Amino acid sequence: MPVFKLILNGKPHQVDADPQMALLWVLRDLLQLTGTKYGCGLGVCGACTVHEDGIPVHSCQIPLSATSAKSYVTIEGLSAHGDHPCQKAWLEEDVSQCGYCQAGMIMQAAALLKTHPNPTDQDIDNEMSDHVCRCGTYQRMRRAIHRAAREVSKA
Amino acid sequence: MKATRRKFLKTTALAGTGLAIWLEIPKNAAGETATVFEPNAYISITPDNVVRLWMTRSEMGQGIRTTLPMMLLEELEASWSQVRLEQAMPGGRFKGIRLRTSGSGSTVETYGAMRKAGATAREMLIAAAAEKWKVAPASCHAREGTVIHDPSGRKLTYGELATVAARQNVPDKPPLKPAKDFRLIGTRVKRRDGAAIVTGAARYGLDVRVPGMLYAVMERCPVLGGKLTRFDAEKALAVPGVRHVAPIHSGIATGVAVVADHTWAAIKGREALHVEWDPGPNADFDSDRFLAQMESAVTQTGFPIRNDGDAPKAMAAAAKTLEATYEFPFQAHAPLETMNCTADVRPDSCEIWVPTQAPEVALSDTAKMLGLPEDSVKVHITLLGGGFGRRLFADYVPEAVELSRAIGKPVQLVWTRSDDMRHGFFHPSDIEHIAGGLDAGNNPVAWVQKSVGSDLSMFGLPSEQDKTDPKFYFNDGSPWGLFDIPYNFPHLKADYIPLNSPVPTGPWRAVMYPPTVFARESFLDEMAHAAGQDPLEFRLKLLQPGDVHMVGGAMIDRGRLAGVLRLAAEKSNWKQPLTGAKDRWWGRGIACNVYDSDTYVAQVAEVSVGREAHDIRVHRVVCAVDCGLVVNPAGLEGQAESAIIWGLSATLHGRIDFKNGGAVQENFTDFDVVRMHESPQVETYTVSSDHPPAGFGETAVPPIAPAVANAIFAATGKRLRRLPITAEKLKA
Ligand code: FES
Ligand code: FES
Repeated sequence: MPVFKLILNGKPHQVDADPQMALLWVLRDLLQLTGTKYGCGLGVCGACTVHEDGIPVHSCQIPLSATSAKSYVTIEGLSAHGDHPCQKAWLEEDVSQCGYCQAGMIMQAAALLKTHPNPTDQDIDNEMSDHVCRCGTYQRMRRAIHRAAREVSKA
Repeated sequence: MKATRRKFLKTTALAGTGLAIWLEIPKNAAGETATVFEPNAYISITPDNVVRLWMTRSEMGQGIRTTLPMMLLEELEASWSQVRLEQAMPGGRFKGIRLRTSGSGSTVETYGAMRKAGATAREMLIAAAAEKWKVAPASCHAREGTVIHDPSGRKLTYGELATVAARQNVPDKPPLKPAKDFRLIGTRVKRRDGAAIVTGAARYGLDVRVPGMLYAVMERCPVLGGKLTRFDAEKALAVPGVRHVAPIHSGIATGVAVVADHTWAAIKGREALHVEWDPGPNADFDSDRFLAQMESAVTQTGFPIRNDGDAPKAMAAAAKTLEATYEFPFQAHAPLETMNCTADVRPDSCEIWVPTQAPEVALSDTAKMLGLPEDSVKVHITLLGGGFGRRLFADYVPEAVELSRAIGKPVQLVWTRSDDMRHGFFHPSDIEHIAGGLDAGNNPVAWVQKSVGSDLSMFGLPSEQDKTDPKFYFNDGSPWGLFDIPYNFPHLKADYIPLNSPVPTGPWRAVMYPPTVFARESFLDEMAHAAGQDPLEFRLKLLQPGDVHMVGGAMIDRGRLAGVLRLAAEKSNWKQPLTGAKDRWWGRGIACNVYDSDTYVAQVAEVSVGREAHDIRVHRVVCAVDCGLVVNPAGLEGQAESAIIWGLSATLHGRIDFKNGGAVQENFTDFDVVRMHESPQVETYTVSSDHPPAGFGETAVPPIAPAVANAIFAATGKRLRRLPITAEKLKA
């Protein structure tokens, strides 16, 4: 099988697997990075969101063959000490319930703050509504995103 | 007393007292050499000053890994920084202690036991210090993980006292703190495990990784109750990474599992599988036809559930009567983490890792299946990516156990989203027919309700025999929301007509309340409008303060229900008309419920509907709660928000249809849920109360659907009686 080279959380990786294999399963089952979650496998829940060259993508929709020479960041690599402004704001606002969706949510929110350092509620609706939180923690996420934005703008 | 479905969810079947009993760990025979202080199953303290607390409920988002430690620490007086949380496992140390998580009961059922466990340990630590210092225990107190001798100020840490504490007598009735001295209970404590979640370190069932494990998915018969006849594994085995293909007979549906090096190959292998089925008797089951059947069943005489006064006569004499029919379709649970179980069956033992609300069932089913004593089976409870009642069933455990036994390796059996949505257990579909009568002065005099449903099976109830027993449903106290209609109608009749369907049903968040409460609270609104009265005032007349009554088998304080209605009305400015953008209609709706005699919830929803598109937006929900003492207000607010979004998903989107004997919906595309852009602002207000804590995890679900439907009526004049409520239905 062909070998694919990608950068993952800042480190080069070589993956030898089916070119069609979704990145989600590469991360979870081959590389043991289980922070990225499976929720739908169809690109409609956002649980598997990672950054591809800084852009949030659904890793369940990305075949391994499309990952060559790209750089990916997963929740495990978002910050060195769990102190990304979104992570901190998530704790401050006590967002998580079961927590299963939250890695995907935080990855989306972190990307949102890059493109919209001061997001409006409308921006948050636009960018976050691909995601499912079956526990319904949306309003706390909204508050956490605003809080993280304030922290980023202060810094 | 006979078991009822309510009791199964609410209390412990083992102890029967409503409080978990705990096993006293026999003290180390060598006495002096004991280095671990374990006064009971919940707590152990070691000389390194680490306090281990065993969690006897599953964490599924309700925050129990925060609330249980709060209750333990309140009495134990250890500090958060020295605490490590351990998840209890069924059997062994926890034999006889209930670990099942259900019925909004995580806090209620454990409150007494946790406090007693903490107080026991504290008293023994104080006794140990007193012994060491040769002083009276009464001259010492415990605080932040140390015992302090008050006169001298001497201190010893719990770690330093562990060995001596282990030798002390276990007090029978350790003194509990008076509520005024609480330092933790009643304060806002954030989730203790938040950091693990936001860094991706939290481990759910699907994150279990065991050396040498394989991954599997399973093709289940697409028709309810159908059987596997034959399969051809050749093409599946040709998929790179696929290792085994094996038939499975032990879960909710028979089928064929494909085992591979990773989940991806298992999924691809399954696509290549050729399977033949005997569809069995349900091949043409159709939920639309079943619905029609339910609607015509309302003319039948059902099982009597309530009969107060003489409702038929009062209806005949009423000055004005009205009637309506409400529909609640089948619903899926769809927790974001799909069902899964990892099993490692060895010749004389077995270990499983499973996100479950029912670990005892997982244990006994596994042991039975393998013919092993329960002591040889270890059940690790992982974090649950949502439970909502689905994980009270352990059907996904034997599948994995059977598979691991067949292949002789540890294996993780993964349900894909489509598996999860099409198989398993569903919220029953339901039709409610209500007729009401008003007298000449527009006072409500009669209420006649018929509830038709595909019923709910759980824990083997009802049995086939129960189903024909005219008293079963009455004694069972079901359906919930029917037997305990809280309003004081002088004449009230309620009957239940359960219809058999092949759809496996089970508890969903708020169990049987959502359909009955949707109908009841909508119809009260209809009656209020027919009477020309304000829907709040109309309800309050039927709920007088001080009127504490047995309704059905439940003790209901009508005054407490009136109290939450008033609170919700006040906080939402009920009397002021709601206005907003001119291109939308605006309105408020109110609804309430009493959950299982002890949690009182009222909600006001603020809704607008686009004049063009008829799109529905729920802007704000005010939720007023009286559930006795609140252990963690932060947790309670989270649960209110969560329950409201859950109920709103069913109000606006959710339904599962069955065609040709199988579920139609497969993913969040056709079974959508409320997302960020649709989620309202939720405000929660609690009534401060001396009542003991009552459950809350699901109790805020039932009122939201009728509150929204009533608000839509207030805004548009259109009454929608069939869930989900959509723009298309509003336009029609
Ligand atoms: S798992 Fe990828 S979007 Fe749902
Ligand atoms: S916190 Fe449970 S799915 Fe979002």
